[in-house]
Amino acid sequence: MKTVFVHPENCIGCRHCEIACLIEHSQTKDLFGALFENPKPHPRIHVEVGLDFHTFPNRCRHCDPAPCMQVCPTGALSRDKETGSVLVNYDKCIGCAMCAMVCPFDIISFHKVWNVSFDHEVNAKCDHCIDRQRRGEVPACVEACKTGALEFGDANEIIRNSRKDFTLRTTIALEGEEAPAVPSNIKAFRDVMAKVAKIGPFKRN
Amino acid sequence: MYDSLKAKKEAEKRALDKTDQEMIEKAMQDGLETAWDRLAKQQPQCGFGQLGVCCNRCAMGPCRIDPFGEGPTRGVCGATADLIVARNLLDDLSVGAAAHSDHGREVLEVLLDTAEGKSQGYEIIGEEKLKVVAEEYGIKTKGKKKEEIAKELALAMLEEFGTIKNKIQLAERAPEKTKEMWGKVGIMPRSVDREIVESMHRIHMGVGADYANILLHGLRTSLSDGWGGSMMATDGSDILFGTPTPNTSWVNLGVLSKDKVNLVLHGHNPILSEMIVKAAEDSKMKKLAEAKGAKGINLVGMCCTGNELLMRQGIPIAGNMLDQELAIATGAVEVMVIDYQCIFPSITHTASCYHTKVVATSEKSKVPGAMYMEFKPETALDTAKEIVKTAIENFPNRNPDRVKIPDKPIKMMAGFSEEAIRKALGGSYKPLIDAIVAGKIKGAVGMVGCNNPKIKQDYGHVTLGKELIKRNILVVETGCAAIASGKAGLLLPEAAEMAGDGLKSVCKALGIPPVLHMGSCVDCSRILVLGANIAKELGVGIEDLPIAGSAPEWYSQKAVSIASYFVASGVTTHLGIPPKIFGSPNVVDLLTSKLRDHINATYFVEPDPIKAADKIEEEINRKRKALGI
Repeated sequence: MKTVFVHPENCIGCRHCEIACLIEHSQTKDLFGALFENPKPHPRIHVEVGLDFHTFPNRCRHCDPAPCMQVCPTGALSRDKETGSVLVNYDKCIGCAMCAMVCPFDIISFHKVWNVSFDHEVNAKCDHCIDRQRRGEVPACVEACKTGALEFGDANEIIRNSRKDFTLRTTIALEGEEAPAVPSNIKAFRDVMAKVAKIGPFKRN
Repeated sequence: MYDSLKAKKEAEKRALDKTDQEMIEKAMQDGLETAWDRLAKQQPQCGFGQLGVCCNRCAMGPCRIDPFGEGPTRGVCGATADLIVARNLLDDLSVGAAAHSDHGREVLEVLLDTAEGKSQGYEIIGEEKLKVVAEEYGIKTKGKKKEEIAKELALAMLEEFGTIKNKIQLAERAPEKTKEMWGKVGIMPRSVDREIVESMHRIHMGVGADYANILLHGLRTSLSDGWGGSMMATDGSDILFGTPTPNTSWVNLGVLSKDKVNLVLHGHNPILSEMIVKAAEDSKMKKLAEAKGAKGINLVGMCCTGNELLMRQGIPIAGNMLDQELAIATGAVEVMVIDYQCIFPSITHTASCYHTKVVATSEKSKVPGAMYMEFKPETALDTAKEIVKTAIENFPNRNPDRVKIPDKPIKMMAGFSEEAIRKALGGSYKPLIDAIVAGKIKGAVGMVGCNNPKIKQDYGHVTLGKELIKRNILVVETGCAAIASGKAGLLLPEAAEMAGDGLKSVCKALGIPPVLHMGSCVDCSRILVLGANIAKELGVGIEDLPIAGSAPEWYSQKAVSIASYFVASGVTTHLGIPPKIFGSPNVVDLLTSKLRDHINATYFVEPDPIKAADKIEEEINRKRKALGI
């Protein structure tokens, strides 16, 4: 099964993924069109900042079994067999938020959407860009990510590549050479920002 | 729900000063949005932007480079990370240089109007300085009326904004050796406006792809600010309003008055605010204030307009950049007068929570929701009186139930112009040089720059300042840095007790504080002149002196220009907030290391003030060693 794998060390908090997601889930599928839509489209991926200005792009993991599906009282949530995506039937959703309560990643939020029969807020979570996937395209967030923080593919294959990279770096380090996971200038920048975080309002309580 | 314990904790993280903390808590209680709240709402901030690898200049873009090297390595035009970072930095620097220099131009225009008898309320007070500067420009002063000299000088200086003679006269103040260095590197400034216009040209697509060449022009542009526009702003203001001499005044939000009409004078240019000082002295205004139930009129400064008034008139100062919203949150400000630079665009939104009226005065700097009373030299005093009247008439609208003013302002000294420092030393720098040679004073640091809500307000300035004086390093300051030190009590002769033994003895002998307030941010030019005069007396270049620069809490493009003209003048400069260059290892290497071979100075980045002090001391020791002391 294909997944959107997150490499948090490559996330620089640009939020391109959020914008691309918003456009993909708008009615017009266009940045400038989306600005004037009613209801307003919302992103379904969220880049939040954590300790020392580190960021993490958080979205539906399409769990299996999915806790949200298990607790939904109206059967609004279902799984697409072909892609494994957990999908929401907006017309069945009653906005009870049971799904949000059990979500291990807190990625479910409720908004009005354009493609629903009557006017109410629904579980507007990531649909894994099911339409794009059916056209053979990668999810919009992955396409937008220019730093490789979001990767679409078979989870085991992605992990295998990461593992190979890890092994390579470990063996290089054994030779006494430097083998950083991120470029040295990025590391330098992050070290500086971690110091900034410690002397201001972003200091951890 | 307002949680007082949570607010207190948050306030302690946001600001160092207790009075600031008190007002941050009140702002939170009142539900007022401040810069700290807006910064939190902006998280996360875009990494491409922070690293400097986002280019949004042309319509083929916007483009960005993947700093991890997996995605795009060139913009649509073909620009690499090196080029994009360099162009962005040159852009920022030029914006800063333009802001300083345009301020300078306006001062000189008022000087010209005054010389021609066209302005209202102004006179030429700094006659001595007028003659000194006029002589530098080759203008004969003997037997001439001061207005005649001022007219010739103002025209000569204004001409240098677009001069075709390829030189700026004030840059001649630099020591010969430093000027030779500029000539060798090719960064001698040719005019004020020309360098900025050329920067705008150079950041256009397809005008050079060599990042080093672009950054070199950045250094030249910064010199046209420091030794040009900013220096003209300083000298022009000294000629119009007098060269500052040491005085004593008060600082922090406690300078606002419970029973007087409060006017906060905020921004950077003193030309209108000086007239407001005059207008507030008018007995009619005082009577009007009393008739409205106030005990008088209380003028206080904010940011660099505040510094200008503090330096020359001893007007108390309410605070630095992050205090502008907190002053309004006291609920006791009748009018905030704004000219330009560093005024939050949301300031009228803030003021709308209270009775405070914001009065915009510059055609360049209009703000929706503000009253607009345009400053013009020919009607300046009338406008100033109108503004004071507006404040008085707003006094009855103050709601005493919503007023909270911290009650303890701190005493401070200011007014240390280069001329005043020289005079305090007995007319020559010899005593200072002797103290440096003897090791009583190891060196000096020019600490400048802003507040930035990413760092606890004033923490960077005050912690570094204390650490430096402890190590017998004299600190001279301008701008927000100086106000921060004022709030922390470092601008008092008594603060010498916090200094190392050598510096302490020198301060005590002269009766001066270990941290000297030299003025507003354009007055960083005073620091250049100070360095130049010491170097000339020693027979060396500025780049040889055991001195350094520092901007621990900078945010503004003006700070990029200041840091750059310090570095270009041979003074290694510390930055407490990373500039947007980390996306290019080559640019970082050039600015933090390779530059040293050409101008004997570099930039360096270090948020931790104690570690910054270590590196500054190391640099000072390196230069002492080279001088053989």
